[in-house]
Amino acid sequence: MLLSRRNFFKILGAAGASTALPAGSAQAWSSKAPDDPYGCLVDLTRCVGCRKCEEECARVNELPAPERPNCQCTIFEKNRRPDDDAFTVVNRYFTGRIDNFNKPVPTYAKVQCMHCQDPACVSACIVGALTKDETGAVRYNKDKCIGCRYCMVACPFEIPAYEYDDPITPKVMKCTFCYDRISKDGGLPGCAGICPTEAITFGKRSTLLKVGKKRVKENPGIYLDHIYGEKEVGGTSWMYLSSVPFKKVKLPGLPETPSPKLSETIHHSLFSYLWSPIALFGVLAAFMSRTKKEADNPDNKGGV
Amino acid sequence: MKAAPLNKKFWTPGVLVMLCFMIAGAIAILGRFTGGIGYVTNLSNARPWGLWVGVDVATGVALAAGGFTTAALAHIFGRHHYESVTRPALLTAALGYTFVVLGLLVDIGRSWAIWKPMFNWNFNSVLFEVAMCVMIYLNVLYIEFLPIVAEQFKDRVNLPGMLSSLNSLVNWILKTGDAILNKTMWIFIILGVVLSCMHQSSLGSLMLVAPTKLHPLWYTPLLPLMFLASAIAVGYPMVIFETTIATSSFKLDPEMDILTPLTRFTIYLLGFYLLIKTGDMIYRKTWVYLLDGTYQTNSFLVEMICGIALPWVMLLFNRVRQSRTGIFIAACLIIGGVVLNRVNVFIVGYKPPISEGTYFPAVGEMLVTFGLIATLMFIYRIAVTFLPVLPGSREVNV
Amino acid sequence: MIKKLFLPVILIIVISGLCLANSWKAPDQEKAKERSKETVPFIKEYVDDCKINRRICLMDAKVSLEDVKDVYFLLDSPVIKEKEDHYEPVRFAHKRHAALTKDCSKCHHFRPKDKDALETTRCSACHQDAFNPERPERIGLKAAYHQQCIACHKDEAKGPTGCKECHLQHVPDHKELVKLPDNADPFQVTAECNRCHDAQAEDMLKTAHWLWKGPSPYTTGHRKDILHGKGTTALNNY
Repeated sequence: MLLSRRNFFKILGAAGASTALPAGSAQAWSSKAPDDPYGCLVDLTRCVGCRKCEEECARVNELPAPERPNCQCTIFEKNRRPDDDAFTVVNRYFTGRIDNFNKPVPTYAKVQCMHCQDPACVSACIVGALTKDETGAVRYNKDKCIGCRYCMVACPFEIPAYEYDDPITPKVMKCTFCYDRISKDGGLPGCAGICPTEAITFGKRSTLLKVGKKRVKENPGIYLDHIYGEKEVGGTSWMYLSSVPFKKVKLPGLPETPSPKLSETIHHSLFSYLWSPIALFGVLAAFMSRTKKEADNPDNKGGV
Repeated sequence: MKAAPLNKKFWTPGVLVMLCFMIAGAIAILGRFTGGIGYVTNLSNARPWGLWVGVDVATGVALAAGGFTTAALAHIFGRHHYESVTRPALLTAALGYTFVVLGLLVDIGRSWAIWKPMFNWNFNSVLFEVAMCVMIYLNVLYIEFLPIVAEQFKDRVNLPGMLSSLNSLVNWILKTGDAILNKTMWIFIILGVVLSCMHQSSLGSLMLVAPTKLHPLWYTPLLPLMFLASAIAVGYPMVIFETTIATSSFKLDPEMDILTPLTRFTIYLLGFYLLIKTGDMIYRKTWVYLLDGTYQTNSFLVEMICGIALPWVMLLFNRVRQSRTGIFIAACLIIGGVVLNRVNVFIVGYKPPISEGTYFPAVGEMLVTFGLIATLMFIYRIAVTFLPVLPGSREVNV
Repeated sequence: MIKKLFLPVILIIVISGLCLANSWKAPDQEKAKERSKETVPFIKEYVDDCKINRRICLMDAKVSLEDVKDVYFLLDSPVIKEKEDHYEPVRFAHKRHAALTKDCSKCHHFRPKDKDALETTRCSACHQDAFNPERPERIGLKAAYHQQCIACHKDEAKGPTGCKECHLQHVPDHKELVKLPDNADPFQVTAECNRCHDAQAEDMLKTAHWLWKGPSPYTTGHRKDILHGKGTTALNNY
């Protein structure tokens, strides 16, 4: 059990060689966002609450038809969230605006996965079942998933849903950005294609930002000068334009730092190349060999 | 004071109560594997992690810290005086981690896929690192425990019935294993400490990925350090807690000559934890929340005052340190504080930003948790009854 | 004998009449249908005029109600049809809208850059496919129709804004769907409706049509009954 100096370095070398891990280097954190992703710009002033997007989403993704698909009235009485049966839902909000006839003006807001540029869920996923694709879509691979739900904990928008009633093979359910369609030329996400008023504009994210800024500039007094998702959590593929404060339509106020930045920075600076565990191992081994030597030394016998 | 199997009656009323909990837990687990997680829990899309992660996993890992802290003290830092408590602490750690994995199997939706992280690596994921460490550490714990089994059964292997033909083979495995481990045990002891430090801290990093969801009183970049510090601080109190319970229920010598000096370390370790927690609160100015009266803040106050400050002050007094009841109460408070901290970080302090409504564990969830804990205690009881874990020679007659 | 001949003669007259009626088509409707099938070349450049300028231009060009030749259009185009076909096209009364608004610039909001082009071009000349990457700010034809109609109807608090107020939906033929015995009683009919429309039936139970308990002043013979109403005594099978 005696650990000589030479042995100690041998061990260090062996441990170092066995940890030829891919470079998760301790350098400064950098965004892993795709260069030119697609995106969607949702213009809340254009949405009329027809819920066709819900219907088309369910059809395209082979989900059960939405609850009362043609209802534009009582369905809005409760605030809904996307769940394992619906990747997107439209909610109605009365934000205090009134029209020329003193009637409250509703604002409709569609909710779905925002497809963040640096998604927290992708960073969190233990097995890499969630990936950020070149198209901008955050994709889910059920064959890797172990069902730990850490992605749901991580998501700042509370989007991933879970098949809680499936005992053996529950899946994480969320908007796919219709990956199979948009990755083909001219393909559109189901919701954007069906929307009668083009409240959802589909295109390259960079283009959409220009369109959005132009729309804000050309319609003074209509839009808030803020494209939600341009900077929130480092930017999202889906963005929103609105005439009412985003908080009132349940789009949470978020920092501009990408969610995974802090955790990845700390994690990598501690564990890249497993330097800290190896160092700790070495220090402890040195300690152990010293105490062992002391214990073996007959002069110290008896002392604890 | 050599460790020896207990020579006591096994079936006591306490064991029967444990059995009841185990059966109830088994029924709840059956419900979970037939009706789904939603059938037995109050978990939702807004609240994906609840009692099972907060208590079974996070708290389980924290409270199993006695294993590596005592091993470090006795074997690495050469305080051989404490060797008699390493075995029960090791048993608790091995059982604790086994049940962390069992709890995970119940909690993750696709239990059959639990092996997948071994082949699908995401180095950005904190959870990946935790999983790898827990997996390796569990094996290390089993290896560390092997000599205890070998000591009891070496040259005495007597398998029943048909298996008796394997007697000599099993005996040979035990003997060679023991011989190899005798030479290499130091690797596993150090590895155990290193792996523990890694995943104890990383459990804290888990919530760093959700900056907007965890209450600012807990969300700090220092979370990993705090988790590590609290795990190390709770290690010896956990030993005190176990030893006191075991020695009093089995009517053994209370071992005050070991426990009292242990509390000295705790003063420093807990003091450090208290210092960084307070310092962090002052530095990030989160004390502004302290008096806002929400249940989260109150929970934080209870954690800080009853779980850290009060036992720390208690242990400063020599009179408390010398009293069996005194250190037991202090240990319970510290353990309670760490349990509450884990529950706070994973359940109480977690606030979904959009959905409303609070989470309280369903009966099914609690039954599973209690059932797992009862099973753990049951196996502990079996192990100390039949294996040389507890120091047996100084048994007292009461 | 004459009496025996009478019936077939009547039948022949009726049938031939029906055939004639089937072959007759309203000319303006046919014209609108033909027009809705046309596609026109895409206008790439337009004059980004302000509203006032635009009105002055239209006045200068002496565009008036007299120029509106078509009574109505069918708002449809192959541009829309190739993507989806959920609803029947809207019958848009062009002349009526022109007469009511007296402001052509409300819809003809820009003009082509080409000087020789007409002052008023049809919507589908500028608005065609949605999300054209070369012209990302130009909305597609479907959105142009919907935004224009719905926004104006809301501003004026006049005219329909819901889907089915303008469109007929492609409704499946209920002759095939409804399965009832001969001489079905009212309860059987209700049950048959509810077979598919149970959600609507549930909604109905929450409306005043079902729950009304006040007076029914317009019910013949019960004008003076105060405590009458669907919720209490009336037979409520629909």
